[in-house]
Amino acid sequence: MRVTTVLRVALRRISSRPFQTFSVVSVIAFSSGLAVALFLAASGLRLGLVNAVAPFDIAAGVRGSPYQLVLNTVFLQDVPAGNIPADAAQRLSDDSRVDLAIPVALGDTYAGLPVVGTTSAITDVKVKGVPWLRIKEGRFWDGAFEAVVGAKAAALTGLRPGDIFRTTHGSIGGEEHGTPFKVVGVCHSVHGPYDRAILVDIASVWAEHDHGGDGHESESGGEVTAMLIRPRSYADAYGLLASYQRDQSCQVVFPAQTAVRLFSIIGQGEEFLRAVVRSVAVCTLLTTILILYWSGASRRDERELLHILGVPHGALAAISWLEGTMLLSSGVALGWIIGRAGVAAAFGLLGNATAIEPTIPLSAGEISIPAALLAAGSIGAFFTALEHTSDRQP
Amino acid sequence: MTEIKGDAEKIPSIWQISGESPPRPLLEISSIRKDYRQPDGSNMTALRLGPLTAYPGEAISVTGPSGSGKTTLLRMLAAITKPTFGEIRFAGQDIARLGNAEAAWRAVSVGYIFQDINLLPDFSVLENLMLASEISHVPVKAAESRASSLLTRLGLDGRKDSRPAKLSIGERQRAAVARAVIHRPPMILADEPTASLDAENARVVIRMLTELCAERRALLIVATHDDAVRRALPRTVKIGSEAAL
Ligand SMILES: Nc1ncnc2c1ncn2[C@@H]1O[C@H](COP(=O)(O)OP(=O)(O)OP(=O)(O)O)[C@@H](O)[C@H]1O
Ligand SMILES: [Mg+2]
Repeated sequence: MRVTTVLRVALRRISSRPFQTFSVVSVIAFSSGLAVALFLAASGLRLGLVNAVAPFDIAAGVRGSPYQLVLNTVFLQDVPAGNIPADAAQRLSDDSRVDLAIPVALGDTYAGLPVVGTTSAITDVKVKGVPWLRIKEGRFWDGAFEAVVGAKAAALTGLRPGDIFRTTHGSIGGEEHGTPFKVVGVCHSVHGPYDRAILVDIASVWAEHDHGGDGHESESGGEVTAMLIRPRSYADAYGLLASYQRDQSCQVVFPAQTAVRLFSIIGQGEEFLRAVVRSVAVCTLLTTILILYWSGASRRDERELLHILGVPHGALAAISWLEGTMLLSSGVALGWIIGRAGVAAAFGLLGNATAIEPTIPLSAGEISIPAALLAAGSIGAFFTALEHTSDRQP
Repeated sequence: MTEIKGDAEKIPSIWQISGESPPRPLLEISSIRKDYRQPDGSNMTALRLGPLTAYPGEAISVTGPSGSGKTTLLRMLAAITKPTFGEIRFAGQDIARLGNAEAAWRAVSVGYIFQDINLLPDFSVLENLMLASEISHVPVKAAESRASSLLTRLGLDGRKDSRPAKLSIGERQRAAVARAVIHRPPMILADEPTASLDAENARVVIRMLTELCAERRALLIVATHDDAVRRALPRTVKIGSEAAL
């Protein structure tokens, strides 16, 4: 029997039962889509996290919780813990093991968005050799009371080069500072928390707090909330960590390590999701095989007829296998699209609200889900086909 | 009409009486037996049959009570299953030795009709005929012209594009006749082809089958309960208790 005949019979079986085909393909699509979506959600959040942490090798801040330090400096969340004295900051900047030291002064906001006082050193940060913070519109500041706005911050506030704004001490509801800032530039997206930041010259922050004389315990001349540090080498990084182990004024942490630990505290989230993804995939597979088994079992008469017409058992098995594999592959392909589109839409909805920006680039892990389903499913279809063709009378 | 009780060879063949040189037999069955293994491990004999010879163009009914082995016999003749003992020769060849060529042999040598499901439900009547022709290697052009003349003869012209489920039972069995003869097999096996039909439809189906087989000198073997069918066919083989050896 010719291959085209086998294919035609299998295709006809699928096309002549639109309702059955639709429901089978839907079941496979939704369950495999769920597996893909869960995987993408988990890996997307992790990638967002990795992206957020990537620019900063080392963070140094006042002694206390390393989590708070990383939340403050890398994710621009939570209330700053306190300041490190000017001399300690200076000592860090002068350390021979430090390649780049970026001071950050946190605590002020504009429209609920973090105002980050820093220096132009922040434009020297590179991720994988590529400049991290790039200006999209306007220029970087070169004077006091000039500001550069992150991509999401610009979108949320509508601030454009030339606009004037006043910062607030603390978060919303705090007291407004006197001197207005002038926006001089807008950044490209860094796909991380700094997209929500408004960057200003740290000297302006100091000036604001000094001459305000407001008596707050806040940044004044030379004090910084934290230092973001690029070491000269791995060895220097560990050297810094070791020498600040017992320092009274300062703690030094690796944000990547701290972030991973922080997120593993939140319920072993990813491990759990992975287990769920695997279970969903196994359920999809079992459902598919069950469906194929039953739809095949209901066609015993047709197989008997084809066999008596002179179709050999091999071709009968090929028809069942093709039918199953075609249903499976259309379901899995559809599921992949649904899963990906669903997660992309969900992440899009989260939009500007989140600190980290989850991304879902195509990965081997993602492809492995539909690929494994297809492989295991077509093997399952093969065995169901064999089972069915051997149920004839002896 | 000759009635053969189990042992066909005891009755002189028409060729022996007439003295003409006989044509070669199409089917030669030695004494055969088919055993099935029971779930408890013992063997159960489903069929015993004495020697039987059949010639091209003959029309034979196989009768016997339910469970006597009529279906089993037809399945053995179609090489779907093999006798436990004995030999079935078709055109001189032992069909038990076909091995892997069994399905291909059946595709060209046998036309088979079941009591009910004879057509693939997802294909129209015409498509069923074309598919059967394709499996039996009938060229498309020939298949098309045979299908159209068969459908006309069987009164199915208006139904050729219908799915089997839309046909009456009588129409379905007539379509089954067309499907079984379209590749012009030398042997047609029909297992209770009229069991679901009323007397009139049964008469039509048997008449068409005998006519079509006679035209092509095909051997027709019909397993049946129906006395009218038995009387309509010139030769009868009785199996089961009535013919117990
Ligand atoms: N595959 C099988 N395995 C075991 N026993 C079988 C098998 N096929 C048939 N039999 C048995 O063989 C005997 C003959 O069965 P068969 O179907 O040939 O009878 P039949 O004459 O066609 O009966 P009916 O007139 O009811 O169709 C029955 O007792 C049946 O149970
Ligand atoms: Mg029977």
